[in-house]
Amino acid sequence: MSNEFQTHLPPISEIWVYLSGSPLLALVLTLSAYLLGLTLYERSQRNPLANPVLIAVVVVTLSINLLDMPYAKYFEGAQFVHFLLGTATVSLAIPIYKGFASLKGRMGVLLLSLVAGGITSVFTAVGMARWLGVDASLVRGLVAKSVTAPIAMGIAERVQASPTLTAIFAVSTGILGAILGRYVLDALRVTQWWQRGFALGVAAHGIGTSRAFSVHPEAGAYASLGMGLHGIVGAVVIPQAVAWWF
Amino acid sequence: MIQGLVQLFIFQALGELVSKFALPFIPGPVLGLVLLLAYLSVRGHVPAAIDLVGSGILQHLSLLFIPASVGVVLYLPVLQANAWAISAALVVSVVATVAVTAGLLRVLAKKESTHE
Repeated sequence: MSNEFQTHLPPISEIWVYLSGSPLLALVLTLSAYLLGLTLYERSQRNPLANPVLIAVVVVTLSINLLDMPYAKYFEGAQFVHFLLGTATVSLAIPIYKGFASLKGRMGVLLLSLVAGGITSVFTAVGMARWLGVDASLVRGLVAKSVTAPIAMGIAERVQASPTLTAIFAVSTGILGAILGRYVLDALRVTQWWQRGFALGVAAHGIGTSRAFSVHPEAGAYASLGMGLHGIVGAVVIPQAVAWWF
Repeated sequence: MIQGLVQLFIFQALGELVSKFALPFIPGPVLGLVLLLAYLSVRGHVPAAIDLVGSGILQHLSLLFIPASVGVVLYLPVLQANAWAISAALVVSVVATVAVTAGLLRVLAKKESTHE
């Protein structure tokens, strides 16, 4: 134990106290879990089941459990990542603007279908959940789940729903939509790429959009547009509708 | 890069201000989105600085909702108790949403093309 290094190194517990007091630990944990998720997603040929968020959430959850770090403590560090959600929402204007360029006068048709799809999404989810006797505290989290997660979480705060539950339901919806979407579209014999893409964007936001892009660029462009428009319309309409319905 | 980031932050801040003082029922970032969209329409193109930063952030959009999603640890017991019902509601809802959106789109687009 007369090793020279020993005298210079503080005990491991002291290093640990220092590290867990700084936001770096939570940041490194979040970013590396995301990178791991991204790598596994690419390795699986972008299988929607290997969703990077899902993988990252499982890894972070297990890690903070193992480290005995309470969620509030973790979030204190990870909030720097969380903050950029607002900036990302603003950035959604870019794909929407680019999508407008490829519209060719379809705006009316797209908006009508979007509103019908949005209403279907809220009523089927909340209706089913109530019918199956889901705990009332969870039902509100379902209201915005077809809207892209950054906007959905903003809506959640306005309808007294938990942003966390909303994010989880939004991510699950995206994954389900990316997996099931093509079967529904094939069964309905919807063959036009723009129609297939738009429906995926409306129902399954970002995850559906990335799925659409991997199938066909036109489907991807319309999926971004569907996701973006659903975000804007949802943010305006959903809080009003909830105030009236709940 | 900084230039684009600053411009995005400015639109985000403007959105927050409008939300706080004029339209409290719409989240600030969504208003920032609408303002940026109006700005891009006026400009007639996406300025390179905004495109660089904005598209970069959007490429890793899913990273940004990890911190909030990890909060799921707080809800695990109630989620477990309702797991099957929630899953059923999510599956039915997403299938119905895709079907209604695409189905209506197909019918309306067909009608439009026969009118031409």
